[in-house]
Amino acid sequence: MTLISTSLNGLGLVLLTHAVYSAHEHSLLPTTAALPLDITIELLAAVLLLCIGIVLASPDLKPIKWSVWGGKLSREEHKAAEKAGDVTERDPYEQLDVRRGFLDIRSKRQDFADWVREGATK
Amino acid sequence: MLDERELAISPIVQSSVQHNAQTISNIRSLTASLFGVAAGTLGLESYPGFIFYLAASLLVSVLIFAFRAEGKASEYFHSPLGDLWLGEVFGGMSGFVLTWTLFYGLVRA
Repeated sequence: MTLISTSLNGLGLVLLTHAVYSAHEHSLLPTTAALPLDITIELLAAVLLLCIGIVLASPDLKPIKWSVWGGKLSREEHKAAEKAGDVTERDPYEQLDVRRGFLDIRSKRQDFADWVREGATK
Repeated sequence: MLDERELAISPIVQSSVQHNAQTISNIRSLTASLFGVAAGTLGLESYPGFIFYLAASLLVSVLIFAFRAEGKASEYFHSPLGDLWLGEVFGGMSGFVLTWTLFYGLVRA
């Protein structure tokens, strides 16, 4: 999409520059005839190409309904995690999807006791 | 249509609304200057110039509706008529008049 919009914008700018320059040169002629049809067509075609290019180059719109927006973010979470840059928008359902299990207090106690014993022997 | 019950069931995401309005505003101001260049070079004067601007803005609205909103305007805008079809049309008009008069003067003077 970026390639299409960039090439459309480039082509449009070239055509626009050419059309405006042609119109300027035409205005320097001693005749007071109206703008030739080919310059008009070139100008309008350039404007149309630039319009399409600008619209295609703009960033994607975001859904405004919470459910649609949240679902989309939730589905794209894996891709976003790989990119690892934009942290402004996170999966709003994360706290429902990722929940801690219960703390196993016996194994924690055992670990602590082991650690204390280890420290005593050293 | 958008009563309180509806909003309670599916709330509006404020940051998305802002992002969409910003995107529309950027497109409008860019294209408005572009239409000014075209109108000035074509040598339009008074009403035909403004009619050209309104027609071209409608074309841009159709392009946004087709390419950016993918035909589902109500999914991206709180009120599609005010935010998409008429959004920022009159805000871009000052930029339009600026480049319109500039290019009219440059090309036709």
